[in-house]
Amino acid sequence: MKQLTLRVLRFDPKNDDAPHFESYTIQVHEGARVLHALHAIHDDCDPTLTYRYCCGTGQCGSCAVRVNGEPVLACMEEARDGISVEPLEIPVIKDLAVDLLPYIEALPVICPETTATAQMPGKDLVETMKPLRSCIGCMACVSVCPALAVSDFGGPTVMRQEMRLTLDPRDTKDRESEAVTEGLFRCTSCQACWKVCPKEIQIPGKAIEKLRELAHYKGHSLPRHAEVAALIKETGRSVTWTAPSFLELTTEVMEPYGPVKKSVGFFVGCMYNLRLPKTALDAIEVLRRNGVRVIIPRDQICCGSPLIRTGQTEYVDTLKARNIAAFTALSIDTVVTMCAGCGSTLKHDYETPFKVMDFSELLTETGFGSPAHLGLNVTYHDPCHLARGQGITEQPRVILRKVADITEMPSICCGSGGGVRSGFPDEAAALGERRGEEIKKTGAEMVVTCCPFCEFHIAGHTDKPVQHLATLLLNGYKEKEKP
Amino acid sequence: MRSDEVVDCHVLVIGSGGAGVRAAIEADQYGDTVLVSKTIVGKGGCTTMAEGGYNAVLKELDSCEGHYEDTLRGGAYLNDPGLVRVLVDEAPDRMADLIRWGAVFDVDDCACVAQRPFGGQRFPRTCYAGDRTGHEMMTTLTERMADTEVETYQEVSIISLLEYEGRVSGAMGLDRNGEVMLFRSDSTVIATGGGTRVYDISTNSSSGTGDGYALGYRAGAEVIDMEQIQFHPTGAVYPYDARGRLVTEAVRGEGGLLKNKLGERFMTRYDPERMELSTRDVVSRSIATEILDGRGTEHGGVYLDVTHLPASQIESRLPVMLEQFLKFGVDIRVEPMEVAPTAHHIMGGLRIRPDCSTTLKGLFACGEVSGGVHGANRLGGNALAETQVFGKRAGETAGKAAVHGRSHDPAQVEGERNRLGKYFTGTSDPAAVWRQLKLSMWEGAGIFRTLPALQQTRSVIQHLQSLQLRAMTAENLVECCTVRNMLTTASLIVDSALLRPESRGAHVRKDIAQDWTMETSPFGHTFISRGCRGIGKVSR
Ligand SMILES: Cc1cc2nc3c(=O)[nH]c(=O)nc-3n(C[C@H](O)[C@H](O)[C@H](O)COP(=O)(O)OP(=O)(O)OC[C@H]3O[C@@H](n4cnc5c(N)ncnc54)[C@H](O)[C@@H]3O)c2cc1C
Ligand code: SF4
Ligand code: SF4
Ligand code: FES
Repeated sequence: MKQLTLRVLRFDPKNDDAPHFESYTIQVHEGARVLHALHAIHDDCDPTLTYRYCCGTGQCGSCAVRVNGEPVLACMEEARDGISVEPLEIPVIKDLAVDLLPYIEALPVICPETTATAQMPGKDLVETMKPLRSCIGCMACVSVCPALAVSDFGGPTVMRQEMRLTLDPRDTKDRESEAVTEGLFRCTSCQACWKVCPKEIQIPGKAIEKLRELAHYKGHSLPRHAEVAALIKETGRSVTWTAPSFLELTTEVMEPYGPVKKSVGFFVGCMYNLRLPKTALDAIEVLRRNGVRVIIPRDQICCGSPLIRTGQTEYVDTLKARNIAAFTALSIDTVVTMCAGCGSTLKHDYETPFKVMDFSELLTETGFGSPAHLGLNVTYHDPCHLARGQGITEQPRVILRKVADITEMPSICCGSGGGVRSGFPDEAAALGERRGEEIKKTGAEMVVTCCPFCEFHIAGHTDKPVQHLATLLLNGYKEKEKP
Repeated sequence: MRSDEVVDCHVLVIGSGGAGVRAAIEADQYGDTVLVSKTIVGKGGCTTMAEGGYNAVLKELDSCEGHYEDTLRGGAYLNDPGLVRVLVDEAPDRMADLIRWGAVFDVDDCACVAQRPFGGQRFPRTCYAGDRTGHEMMTTLTERMADTEVETYQEVSIISLLEYEGRVSGAMGLDRNGEVMLFRSDSTVIATGGGTRVYDISTNSSSGTGDGYALGYRAGAEVIDMEQIQFHPTGAVYPYDARGRLVTEAVRGEGGLLKNKLGERFMTRYDPERMELSTRDVVSRSIATEILDGRGTEHGGVYLDVTHLPASQIESRLPVMLEQFLKFGVDIRVEPMEVAPTAHHIMGGLRIRPDCSTTLKGLFACGEVSGGVHGANRLGGNALAETQVFGKRAGETAGKAAVHGRSHDPAQVEGERNRLGKYFTGTSDPAAVWRQLKLSMWEGAGIFRTLPALQQTRSVIQHLQSLQLRAMTAENLVECCTVRNMLTTASLIVDSALLRPESRGAHVRKDIAQDWTMETSPFGHTFISRGCRGIGKVSR
């Protein structure tokens, strides 16, 4: 037996005004799960503690709670000393028991022919449907979905179910249209849902984007998204030209100051090319100061992310082929991105013959010169497509700590992704406001991030300056050079 | 005191597992149907947890006669042959219902439902959806029920059956806050599942507390063969709190090998012909013997090894197992699992006729709460089939039953209220009582049984039954009722075990020598009802 102390958020709406933490010290066996710790509290300390469980083996989805803020299944997560246990962020019935029923009841159900014969779909379809079927209805995904929190969006597991039904030839309804009315285009592609899903169901990629694609071919695309698609098809870029672009301001090869430690290709992306070229130039400067030769193929174009995220996929193969050709023609083996969205797209939606790395990944791997510490207190915004899309959270912080002090805030979506900023400005603004609140709470003087969409969007919802990591690092170098 | 919420309906279904939901779907065609469940529909009960599969004869080469014979032989010929006939004949049709309703079972290259071999069966007839078969069924059934008029009351626990003019006329329940609710019906279907949580090591979900046996018995129904407890051969042994967690038979179905700590495939000693795929009672006893004789592993189990199978087969056919073991730090693709027997299934239960009527008027039963289908040992895959076959039948019989005018006896309700009220002044902690009960059951009514050990456990149960349980708040009342039910179920198990003077199937009396085989046994069902108990005699 071992002793553990944990804090549990208690709340009885009948008697309490607000939730409060209670601390318990209990004895549990080696290897005990959070559920067993809750049993110990209930049996040995306080029988009024309410929590839900059934199977105890990760199969029923009754027991999801937040441990240290992260949604997990209580029956599968190991109980550790000092953890906090809170209910999921959906309405609480009492203590750790939340009201799951409204979300369960919202799930669409199959509508088979009444005269149907009992015939299974073919093997390929079954194999595609199976992962979407493994949902245990724990509602962890629902509890973290930003779109659902601020808008009329059915939510991730409803979209999962719609996709499952679309695939099934036994179902008779038009699920794409139904999904559109349930807010299919309101998802910001933030990836939060599937990162907390105990069954790792890839809802954004395997359900939402696929449904958007099917909806698109049925003519359901939003007008604003169609405009972007038309622009890409016409110009190869998702935004219009307003001032000299990054590609116009650079040459194909940018040599480092001093000896060449490494040679990389640079994928700039539409936003940094046309809207924020100055930030991209800062990144090039940083790379040059760290011995990196940067090759910038002139023929590169939009990565296709705005099309893939919104389901308008007709032109995507062309974009992919042209981009891959642009880099392979120059025999590049490593391509660096500084836009989280482009990076995630190149890593997951492409099959590239070269390695793709985020700017922060490259610097921390090859090593970078120390900048001056600027004495600033900043907060770091994890871009969804970097943190969850590429699993990169630590590298930017490693760099950032060298130039500034970080005050952390919760890692949530700013609201700009998935075509939401253009498609549903009200929703994007509501999420931006929530981000603004969090930034305010940190008391930081500046917000740092690694994505042009986040940078642009957050700037509209905070009075603090927002900068790309590269710009801040460059400032650190410049400060150091000052006599 | 008259403010109880009263819900009237034609058919009341108690339990939202595979059997209950199937019954409700069927009953809905005949009149107002209400389903009450202790847990959220689709989440509670053991159906959701079922991994291995569903037995049905689907191929030309297989036959219902074969399924019938395998089931009787597996059940040590204690099964009710009429019920077995119904099971094997209708399992394929009920499978077809599930497929029509959208179930996603694994298929072969011709889009026919795939089937795998399971223990004790001559033909691979176990249909599956990976190793989440029961979950797939529950998802399908829940969706189907959402499309009917069935009204559900979730997280409401039934604590007693209502009796009026010699019939069961509904049930009394407690909601989450401990408030009393009355459900009055023309017919009541009990589908509360099993109850092996009365044992220290068990595979069952939180609701496997035997409520249905206790409710039925107290109302006067007859239970049969309650001594027949299936110990599944392969339960996890580590970590401590996850002991008993099921390691599905599909692991052996897919080719998993059992080895002792010396690396020997010990099944050669016990059943050289069927080896790992022998019936569960045989494999459990073999494992228990290996462990007792000192050939067990460090954590007190034996090895179950799939490392010789391709990783891709493990990933696609046993994903839940892979995930669960990974969470506990074991990668079954490269290291063996450690397993030992765990209390899994109660073969006995409320006596039913093929139309699911019990010995009480107005009360029907289906699923694990009923007895007779599996005899003295259940074949893997037959319980899921049972939920569907008998769930449909119970719903239909209950639905077709006459309307009786819905009433209850206020005195009965008052009596129940008084009983509940006493819990507030009780002195014994229900969690502690449960702990003592389950240890004693494992000790005295486990895989190997003797007269003194059974009697010892029986006296522990009697002592525990004499204690006055304590509820801190109204919310805790249901815990007291549940522990009371567990004590009743445990006593039914032990008393039945004392009634059967032989080893038969899962029931092994180490202290009795017998010169008959299961085919020639002079004994039939054990039976217990209020004021009447015994064992059937068979003339051969
Ligand atoms: C881990 C595991 C794996 C299994 N795998 C297989 C397999 O692969 N193949 C197979 O054939 N069989 C398998 N079985 C056995 C099979 O799953 C069960 O026998 C079967 O599912 C029982 O179904 P049921 O509907 O009778 O009860 P359950 O599914 O157990 O449902 C009982 C329901 O009754 C409710 N209930 C209980 N008490 C009350 C009350 N007092 N008031 C209101 N509601 C109540 C519960 O909340 C629950 O909803 C497995 C069992 C377990 C535990
Ligand atoms: S990707 Fe983000 S916005 Fe979209 S469904 Fe998942 S959690 Fe919600
Ligand atoms: S999709 Fe995953 S996280 Fe969401 S309810 Fe289902 S299992 Fe839970
Ligand atoms: S209790 Fe079923 S998933 Fe945790």
